[in-house]
Amino acid sequence: MSSQALSVLVVGGGTAGWMTAAALARLLPGRARVHLVESQEIAIIGVGEATLPHIRGFNERLAISEAEFMAATRATFKLGIDFVDWGRPGDRYIHPFGTFGRGKGEVGLHQYWLRMRQAGQSVAEIEEYSMACMMARMGRFGPPSADFERIESTFNYAYQFDATLFGPFLRAHAERMGVTRTEGRIVDVELEATSGNIEAVRLASGERIEADLFIDCSGFAALLIGKALGEPYQDWSRWLPTDRAVAMPCRTHTALTPYTSAIAMGAGWRWRIPLQHRTGNGYVYASAFLSDDAAAEALMRAVEGEPIAPPRVLRFLAGRRNRGWVKNCVAVGLSGGFLEPLESTSIYLIQQAITALIELWPERDIADADRDEFNRAIDLEYDRIRDFLILHYHATERSDTPFWDHVRTMDIPGSLAEKIDLFRRRGRVVKSRESVFLEGSWIAVYLGQHIMPEGHDPRVDAAPADAVLRSMETLRQEIVHAAERMPAHVDHIARYCPMAA
Amino acid sequence: MRHPPIGSVIVAGGGIVGWSAAAALRRQVPRLSVTVVPIPPPPDALADRMPCTLPSIAEFHGDLHLMEADTVVRARSGLRLGTKFEGWAEGTADYVHAYGAYGQPLGPASFPQHWIRAAGSGTAAPFDEHCAAAALAAEGRFAHPRMAAGAQLPAFDYGLIIDPPRYTAMMRALALHLGAVEHHGTLADLRLREDGFVEALVLAGGEQLAADLFVDATGPAALVRGRLDRAWEDWSEWLPADRLLLTSSPAYPEPPALDRAVALPIGWRFEVPSPVRTSHGLVYSTRHCSDDEAARTLHRAAAAGPDEPAIPIRPGCRPEPWLRNCVAIGDAAIACEPLEWINLHLAHSAIDRMVAMLPDRDCAPIELWDYNRQTAAETMRARDFLLLHYAIAKRPSDPFWQDAASRTPPPSLAHTLAQWRSRGRLPFYEEETFSRDSWAAVLIGQGVLPRRTDPLLDAIPPKRSAEAMARLRQAIRRAAQAAPTHADYLRTLSRQVSR
Repeated sequence: MSSQALSVLVVGGGTAGWMTAAALARLLPGRARVHLVESQEIAIIGVGEATLPHIRGFNERLAISEAEFMAATRATFKLGIDFVDWGRPGDRYIHPFGTFGRGKGEVGLHQYWLRMRQAGQSVAEIEEYSMACMMARMGRFGPPSADFERIESTFNYAYQFDATLFGPFLRAHAERMGVTRTEGRIVDVELEATSGNIEAVRLASGERIEADLFIDCSGFAALLIGKALGEPYQDWSRWLPTDRAVAMPCRTHTALTPYTSAIAMGAGWRWRIPLQHRTGNGYVYASAFLSDDAAAEALMRAVEGEPIAPPRVLRFLAGRRNRGWVKNCVAVGLSGGFLEPLESTSIYLIQQAITALIELWPERDIADADRDEFNRAIDLEYDRIRDFLILHYHATERSDTPFWDHVRTMDIPGSLAEKIDLFRRRGRVVKSRESVFLEGSWIAVYLGQHIMPEGHDPRVDAAPADAVLRSMETLRQEIVHAAERMPAHVDHIARYCPMAA
Repeated sequence: MRHPPIGSVIVAGGGIVGWSAAAALRRQVPRLSVTVVPIPPPPDALADRMPCTLPSIAEFHGDLHLMEADTVVRARSGLRLGTKFEGWAEGTADYVHAYGAYGQPLGPASFPQHWIRAAGSGTAAPFDEHCAAAALAAEGRFAHPRMAAGAQLPAFDYGLIIDPPRYTAMMRALALHLGAVEHHGTLADLRLREDGFVEALVLAGGEQLAADLFVDATGPAALVRGRLDRAWEDWSEWLPADRLLLTSSPAYPEPPALDRAVALPIGWRFEVPSPVRTSHGLVYSTRHCSDDEAARTLHRAAAAGPDEPAIPIRPGCRPEPWLRNCVAIGDAAIACEPLEWINLHLAHSAIDRMVAMLPDRDCAPIELWDYNRQTAAETMRARDFLLLHYAIAKRPSDPFWQDAASRTPPPSLAHTLAQWRSRGRLPFYEEETFSRDSWAAVLIGQGVLPRRTDPLLDAIPPKRSAEAMARLRQAIRRAAQAAPTHADYLRTLSRQVSR
């Protein structure tokens, strides 16, 4: 078995690094001898305090206990994102982790809703037909039901956690499973002359570490894939112009919401992520439209609760590496690309890269087929998320600042323009099966940002209007009652996963 | 509303595809007026004529509220669990491609990975013995998929063996019952608007039938859609066969729920046992075999001479099946030999998609774009699955098969083959018709094994997977032996209906 084991060097000890190390050690014990090098001198960005539901699958595969993980990372539950002021100032909608209606049947609930709206009937807002949205609005949370007949099975959830605690939590797991670690800063990367593969990295201490496979988790620095191997980076800032964030945690004064907030600002948007011990805040903005000082000032004016730390500025550039796997080096995390945290996709993208790497685990002599398939899978993820993010900026009526004027009128990728046009006609969502954001997500953002279809699916006309109205009302009440039966979010956390005092 | 909706539809074509489209439109969108011009399906309209259907037909029937009392008992259909492939690859045994799961997952790796590892050490039992549907079919038996769920066996599904004339009559009766109107006539011409939209069908005698939307279900000739443009994506560079010869013989007293696809030196032939007859067909290439020799070959195998002249097949598809206000469905959109019986399946899928994506009267390009995009993705992968059988066939002494295996596969199939050969991975494609288990069944059945297995398999020692596989085979065998024969199952179904 050990002859099959590749020596793996993970470069970087942030969320990406420790997620990778823990997953490889756990799932490929006979195939990977994992060593990780990290430097305390390099600050961890700790992006992505909010996650997508997919993280639950990752933790399950690693046999991580949910309650233990949540207590350790001071996590709260997340049912979706509350978008404030995006389409127009004063707007508010939730992008839920869940369906509108039961999510069953040939034709989606939103089509019936559209029919009634277009006929001038008074029906409730679309979010009142979503279990996840209603629980979020009521500040309630309980685990979903496994019985698919029940309305309580129509939502999913993720976590909001302290990313700076997730790395250390995973580190303990990984080290128990045999991952070794070196503290040190990389000063040089040695390439093999003929193959161009990475042979070793050299640390400031003079130590030289060889490996068969190198995982670049060095963040924006991209020490291996970018600096050493020179793989180009595709710049997507013409569609996603935000390139800075100023972050500042505060004490929690308001309710512990089971959702993340994304509040539109003059030159971007502001996150609000409630954790058990504090509230994460940050302002994501475009430096072409706002100075760092003005952004920090705006953030300080906006936050509730007293600041725990001074504002800290992060810089980034939207886009991705042309290829995430080059030679014997795989980029996981920010070294492979960056999409701003609007839809909490950072940790999801880390997870997808790890999953693809495990599924395509190479031999010492790496086959092109492995690299190509990895790159195909990761490209698809980035491209799909990109379009979804651009939609949030572009589908707006705001013209109150130069930033919003710019994003409202900018050119968008053809693939997104087609999706929007199609929805505008009859509320149809371009279908894809294995995609991170499914139909419900697109519907929430389209409707929440006033892309209102002109027509609806003709199949919903088959039933008489009063019967449709009645069953929509029955559904709405069923959801309200089911949501009311759920415990308060704060109570559920206190019982299930309280952080150590 | 800014865009007026479609109010009227004319369906050209009086075969299974045309009547099915009419029934689905009336059932799902009752406000449409639907007129069918029942032009008889020509010999080469295979979606209207082939006896085998995939399991997807059950969903299609479900949407129409059709029960098995109608579709099986009254229309005299049989049930089918899969196809037995005989002689496709030298040095490998015959195999069954059934519609169901092969094996059960054990640990983090998929079942085929366990099997591949066992095969590498020479200890694997045939792959299809781990599929409940394949085992039932091989024994001439049938059980409803509920049985598998109850006995915790791998899940499966089944298709139908229809009697096309009876089935067409049933679908016609349903469409008329749902309010479709039949309008007899011979198509003479089309009247087009200035913008190229179809305004009306002109019938012999001068009568004109106008509508907002025209569905062309007239077979490969595409009498309506073909008048708008002749664009055609030709597949003959990959698929060598260009002829189909048909005949039939009396029904077996105990027909199995399994059809046969037998490779021959000059092509392949099928044998489909329905309760009313046994249908035979021979697929071959005029480059390698004369029509006379083909006729003799079929005669020998079926003990019956050909019913009709050889049918030309021009494999390929229309790159834009929906153009302006005219949509081609069935053989008018995609033509190919009946291997794996995708003909009617793709027609059903197109009908569902047409209803789900019914555009406004202006048939805006954006709406048609998404229809055509999905159709193209689905067609490409169905084609790939069909090509797969040829690409990995091993009959080196037969020129037909050498020819077939020597063709360079299209990139999507090449990618699948490379990923499979390298590590047993079946890459994801949108709109895939056949499951990963189906792909694995054919690949393994024709002796293509990956060079290495999934590292996640390490978590389960070989001994444990061997034990699990043996237990599973035994449970499947026991369940199969306890199940009724296919003929008995049909008789019971029939009694339940007549009661």
